Amino acid sequence: NAGKPRKSIATTHPLENAWTFWFDNPTAKSKQAAWGSSIRPIYTFSTVEEFWSLYNNIRHPSKLGPGADFHCFKNKIEPKWEDPICANGGKWTVTFPRGKSDTSWLYTLLAMIGEQFDHGDEICGAVVNVRARQDKISIWTKNAANESAQLSIGKQWKMFLDYNETIGFIFHDDAKKHDRGAKNRYTC
Amino acid sequence: SVHDEDGVTAKKYSRDFLLTFSAQCTNLPERFEITSDLTALMSEDTSASRSDREH
Repeated sequence: NAGKPRKSIATTHPLENAWTFWFDNPTAKSKQAAWGSSIRPIYTFSTVEEFWSLYNNIRHPSKLGPGADFHCFKNKIEPKWEDPICANGGKWTVTFPRGKSDTSWLYTLLAMIGEQFDHGDEICGAVVNVRARQDKISIWTKNAANESAQLSIGKQWKMFLDYNETIGFIFHDDAKKHDRGAKNRYTC
Repeated sequence: SVHDEDGVTAKKYSRDFLLTFSAQCTNLPERFEITSDLTALMSEDTSASRSDREH
């Protein structure tokens, strides 16, 4: 019977949003290359099953080399300040000793794709930055000036990760002007 | 996105619910291509599991 449905379709669990993984490969980076030139989308998923089928086959942050950036953003939003949806946004960041971010990265992804944030519509996506001394995970949001929404996201995120240290929210606009000197606009 | 005007989202999944699907989704997606710039991203046993599946 040609019309017989495939089991994999019958058991699929659709997500509220489609999401795209982006990878910035450190070995492809060079001093001559403009920032962002080596970042590219690698996979877009819109079901629970598609998420796991990729996640289970890629290295987690502790196994990525220093310099690697791995992003998961809503489909059609580029993980760049220049993206029109990100332009007026900002980010919350949590830091971990090198190699200790795997569980928090997974929990961040699951909270986003499972729509566990009350202000999930404010979220653009998340990124893990693997560096020589530490791992950083950031959640990017859309409207940095909306303080109550940002604080809600920050507080819920800490709860999901069971993260007890104070975290800071930086406006992309400040980061553009002051680079690492950008000050936290909100903390929680 | 299918948010309605109130921003209410329909498809919410808890972490525990999502985790129950992990073990049954171990094969790489069919339409995923491992290009040379992605070898640093793929876990060590991925190429082996893909060739197994083709037999």
